[in-house]
Amino acid sequence: MDNRQRFNTAVLPHLDDALSLARWLTGNATDAEDVVQDACVRAFKAVDSIRNSDARAWLLAIVRNTAFTWIEKNRPKTVTTTDDEGLFEQAGLERVEHQDSPEALLIEKTDSEYLHLAIAALPLAYREVLVLREIEELNYQDISKVLSIPIGTVMSRLARARNLLIQRIGMAGKEKAGAA
Amino acid sequence: MNSPSSRSSREESLMLLNAYLDDELDAASVLDIERRLADDPALRVEHDRLMQLRKTLSSHLKVERTSEDFRNRVAAIAQDMNDKPPGTVVQLPSRERRWKDWQQMAAAAVLAAAVTAGGMYGFLRPSPAANEIAAIVADHQRALLSAAPFDVASSDRHTVKPWFDSKLALSPQVVDLASDGFPLAGGRVEVLDGKPVPVLVYRRRAHVISVVAVPHAEQKSTTEPALAATKDGYSVIRWHGRDFDYAVVSDLAENELNEFVTRWREAAGEN
Repeated sequence: MDNRQRFNTAVLPHLDDALSLARWLTGNATDAEDVVQDACVRAFKAVDSIRNSDARAWLLAIVRNTAFTWIEKNRPKTVTTTDDEGLFEQAGLERVEHQDSPEALLIEKTDSEYLHLAIAALPLAYREVLVLREIEELNYQDISKVLSIPIGTVMSRLARARNLLIQRIGMAGKEKAGAA
Repeated sequence: MNSPSSRSSREESLMLLNAYLDDELDAASVLDIERRLADDPALRVEHDRLMQLRKTLSSHLKVERTSEDFRNRVAAIAQDMNDKPPGTVVQLPSRERRWKDWQQMAAAAVLAAAVTAGGMYGFLRPSPAANEIAAIVADHQRALLSAAPFDVASSDRHTVKPWFDSKLALSPQVVDLASDGFPLAGGRVEVLDGKPVPVLVYRRRAHVISVVAVPHAEQKSTTEPALAATKDGYSVIRWHGRDFDYAVVSDLAENELNEFVTRWREAAGEN
């Protein structure tokens, strides 16, 4: 098998997933296509090191790293905050207020557009872990490989990402209720 | 307001709850979180919220579909690169780029090629050894988070060894080091690199020591010295046994962990 055939079997089937990840990391479709193209060039150069069993996670790792290079160049401000563990502590896991509030109902009624905005507004380090789990449906082990972070960190970031998302959706719901 | 301690236990509950919903917990931790859910109405509220969030996410979020045009462009990259010797600049096909963008992109491609050639790939993907150490330490941490760091609790090696045998059809050496101050606490199964592997759990005072035994096919020299590393404050010592590669991880001081490894290897008769 030459490298082109290897690339075609290992990489091409996962282009939709690669584009989705890049879309959520860069924030728009055009930039996402550029990132995936760059990532594919990198992937091609390394394609003989690949084991087919984890081709998808392998490609997503390359896409993710390529997207970070892109973001550092084009949106330097986004990145400086994401490596700051202190920020995570701050964002924390504050208890969502109103134990018995009908938040579940609000979450159910959230529309697509608002949900997309709420996810896009998450700090990058939370967003990437959420997207890898909820959209790419990777398990913790693969997420930890793609992001090069320990599984414990995957667990805490994911818990916080979901908690933040619920808080935001809950707040928006209350505003709507107030306006009505 | 939550006190710091209740907050950290709440954080732990939430992490376990998330992992539970993601089907990532071992049997013991599943029981643990189900017990917490039964006892804690506030946690049940979190559970319902998370379930609802999951439902909403799965109904609203879809994987992007690539256009045929885009797939063709990517396939063309592969074709193009395949035809060229390594190191040449590949011009990425594009929609409506201005010439200036092209120049920038070509420069970026040269840089990417140079950096890749210079081993940047090692930076993108940690070395297998570093990856494995990170995975072993993370598993150890996760075990500490759960109710008990083992699935079978026994200080009797004649209980632990057959348990692995029945569970994995693997029988790692289980040695008794109670007289050296390292009593056996039990065993658990971890998944490393996609394969289930036996983990022995020992105790030293309040510290937990995990001994991960990864079976290997080929015969390896057992006389090589053990290798030590640290990660996130945990010490990891690795060595080759006759049939298994071993890694021990603990928050014990390194000299005590060294002593443990020496005793363990003596008792196992592998050096």
